[in-house]
Amino acid sequence: MSGLASLVLLAVVAGWAVTYGWRFAGVYLAERMAPDSEVLLWVRAVATALVAALVARIILVPPGQLGSTALEARVMAMVLGVAGFYLFRRQMGLGVATAVLSLFVMSWWFGG
Amino acid sequence: MSDRGYDWTALPGGMRAAIGVPGLVMAASFIGFGALVRGLEIGLLPGLLSTALIWALPGQVVFLNMYAEGAVMLAIAVAVTVTAVRLLPMVVLVISKVRIANGTRWPLYLLAHFIAVTIWRVAEDGLEELDRHKRMPWLLGVGLALMGAMLIMTTIGYYLAQTLPPVLAACLIFMTPSFFFVSLFASARFTMDYLAIALGVIIGPLAHQYLPDLDLVIAGAVGGTIAYVAARPRRHRR
Repeated sequence: MSGLASLVLLAVVAGWAVTYGWRFAGVYLAERMAPDSEVLLWVRAVATALVAALVARIILVPPGQLGSTALEARVMAMVLGVAGFYLFRRQMGLGVATAVLSLFVMSWWFGG
Repeated sequence: MSDRGYDWTALPGGMRAAIGVPGLVMAASFIGFGALVRGLEIGLLPGLLSTALIWALPGQVVFLNMYAEGAVMLAIAVAVTVTAVRLLPMVVLVISKVRIANGTRWPLYLLAHFIAVTIWRVAEDGLEELDRHKRMPWLLGVGLALMGAMLIMTTIGYYLAQTLPPVLAACLIFMTPSFFFVSLFASARFTMDYLAIALGVIIGPLAHQYLPDLDLVIAGAVGGTIAYVAARPRRHRR
């Protein structure tokens, strides 16, 4: 099998199918399950912890050019981003902007 | 209930509605995602495939990270599917808002492919004042427009990362995790949610040292379960 074919197969099986399965289940359940059911609460907690761990991994093991910044700057920028989100009346876009601008300023200031 | 079906004339309006704050945050994130793809040194195609087929950034990042590390298909599938579980409640909420009593069902299963955090937020904001028969086509229009735009943004980010100074490229890559992290706080409602965030941040790096392939799954399952058991929200709260 060529590299392209195996990549597409991988993306369809290990990307699309395993993701769409949950979306399919969501449609199926939409008529049958209360949106605040107990199982969904647990699922929500697992998903939240998982994405938080993903963020921690990207900060600690930065991909590509992100590795040119200091660890302290990445951690601080993320904290400032969350602070900015609350400071700017829970505007998600402004929280993200605060995080990214903080990283930029700190990297520029400390010659990152 | 009317015997009318979906009002497909609402679809172009949805495509126009994709241009807004959620769409802009998403565009910035996907430019950052494109830069991240570049950083993984796997080419642009896996990034575009992940955008079109997975259409949820956490799953896309996990998929591409593991693909870059040469992980086996089963390990990738398990890790990606765990990140996608969180889509289920969003899909349940969105679909219950758009479905009509005697409508055909295939459009709902088509729409489901486009539902992720951003579409869920757009649905929360934009659906209330819309006639129920217009909601599904309108939201499908939003989804189609966003996906087309994000494929372009992925490509732009990928090539920007090659030409930009390192600090700017780093900032673009940083947009994706920032968007995830801030959106976790934006959607957090219960003590359980905040506890889950803290436990994920603590357990993830620990698990990464011992089982790098399964660190996210472990952090999610262990951290999420502890958070749920320790701070389960009261059911009658709403």
